[in-house]
Amino acid sequence: MQHEIKNKPDFASLHVFLDKGEAVVTESGAMMGMSTSLKMETNMKGGLLGAAKRALGGESLFLNTYTAESDGQRLDVAPSTPGDIVHLPMSGTGGVMVQSGSYLCCTPGVTVDSKWGGAKSFFGGEGLFMLKCTGDGDLWISSYGAIHPIDVQGTYVVDTSHIVAFEESLTFNVRSVGGLKSLFFSSEGLVCEFTGTGRLWIQTRNAPALAGFIHPFRRVKTNN
Amino acid sequence: MQIQVHHRPSYALAEVLLDDGETVVAEGGAMVSQDTHVTLETSASGDKKGGLMKGLMKGLKRALAGESFFQNRFTANGAPGHVTFAPTFQGDIVVHEMSQAAVMLQSTAYLCGSPTIELDTKWGGAKTFFGGEGLVMLKATGTGLLAFNSFGAIKEIEVDGEFIVDTGHIVAFEEGLTFNVTKFGGGWKSFIFGGEGLVCSFSGKGKLWIQTRNSTAFGQLLGSKLPPREA
Repeated sequence: MQHEIKNKPDFASLHVFLDKGEAVVTESGAMMGMSTSLKMETNMKGGLLGAAKRALGGESLFLNTYTAESDGQRLDVAPSTPGDIVHLPMSGTGGVMVQSGSYLCCTPGVTVDSKWGGAKSFFGGEGLFMLKCTGDGDLWISSYGAIHPIDVQGTYVVDTSHIVAFEESLTFNVRSVGGLKSLFFSSEGLVCEFTGTGRLWIQTRNAPALAGFIHPFRRVKTNN
Repeated sequence: MQIQVHHRPSYALAEVLLDDGETVVAEGGAMVSQDTHVTLETSASGDKKGGLMKGLMKGLKRALAGESFFQNRFTANGAPGHVTFAPTFQGDIVVHEMSQAAVMLQSTAYLCGSPTIELDTKWGGAKTFFGGEGLVMLKATGTGLLAFNSFGAIKEIEVDGEFIVDTGHIVAFEEGLTFNVTKFGGGWKSFIFGGEGLVCSFSGKGKLWIQTRNSTAFGQLLGSKLPPREA
C-alpha cells in the first residue's frame, strides 16, 4: 500500500493506492473519490458495544472499510475541516491518543478505542474525547489549521482546544491556566500539562474560536 | 525576544522565544502552547506601571476598541522559554520591528508584542476612522517587536504618494501616512449598488499592510445562513 498527501497544509487530501486484499478504514463521510473495484462495507468495528463507545467519543457510529478487489485501486479521503493531514506509522510499540475530531482513517491493523481510562475526563466541558489508537499499521490524523509537531522532554503546556494527538508515553493533567484572576479574565480556557518524553501534535487554529466570531453575525430572534 | 512565524500564510503560528526573565504581552485567548516555566499574569493594562485605576481605564479603552479588556503577560522564569500564539482567523502573521514611526492597527489585528510597546485607542482619528463598520484603530507606540494578524494573506505596500484601500481590508499602517475616509469615487449610485463600502485614501510616505479577505464580509455571509440567535 502506498499513499500520498496533497495540498498541505491548507486543504490537505489523502490518496491511498491499494492492491488486492488491502483495506483502509475511514471515518464515515470522509471518502471523496474511489476506483470502482473497491468494496465498501459499513461496519461496527468491535461489535455493537464498540460502536456505541465510539459514538460516545464524538465519532460517528459507523466506520467504513474499503477493501480492494483487484490491484491498482485508489481511494481519495478528505477531512471536513480546512487544514492539514499527518501520517503516523504505528509499529505496535506505543499507542497514540487522538482527539476525536482529528481521527481520519487507518489500516485494519490499528485499533481505535474510546474506552480507555482518561478518555472522558480529558476535555472537561468542551465535548471532545480522546481516542486511543494502538496496533500495527498506518494512521492518518487531520486538523483545523496546520499541524505543528512538538517533541516534549520534561513538561509542556497546551490549550486543550489545540490538541490533535500525543504519544502514550506522555502523561497529562488538565488544569486552568495561571492564578484565580487569570482564570476569570485571561480568556485562556483549560490547558493540558504534559509530562514525560514523547511527541505531541497541535493544530494552529481552533473551531470554537471561529464559531465565537461568527455568532454575533447571526440574525436576532424576534418574538412574533 | 525573538518571534518566528510558522505555517504561513494560511494558518500562521507565532513562536515567541524568551530569555530568562523576559516578558511577552498578548491578546487574551491567543495562547496555544508554552513551556511550563513560563508564567501567565493577567492585568487590565499592558503596562505594569501606573496603578490600578490607570490600568483599568486602559483596559476599558481597549474593550471599547473591540480588543479584550485584559491582556496577558507571559514571563520566562528561571530559564529561557517559548510560547506560541495563534489568531482566530485563517490567515497570516507579520512581525514588525518598531522604532520611530507609530503603527495604527485595526483592532482585531493585534496578536502580541514586547512589553515596551504601548497600545492606545484614544488617539485623534480612532473614532471617525471606520464610520459604520464597527472597527476601531489602535495606536501602537514605542520600540520593540509587534506581531499582528490578518484574515487571508497580508500584502505589504510601500506608499509614496497616494493609495486607496477598502476599509475592510486594512490591517495596519505607519503614522507617516495621513488618511481620509470617503465613500467610493463613483457617486451615490456606486456607493449603494456597487458593493463597495467606505474606502480610505492614504497619502504621504510609509508602510501599509492590507489583508486579502474581509472578516466582516465573511461573518455576514455565514451569519445570515445560520438560525437566529437569542438577543
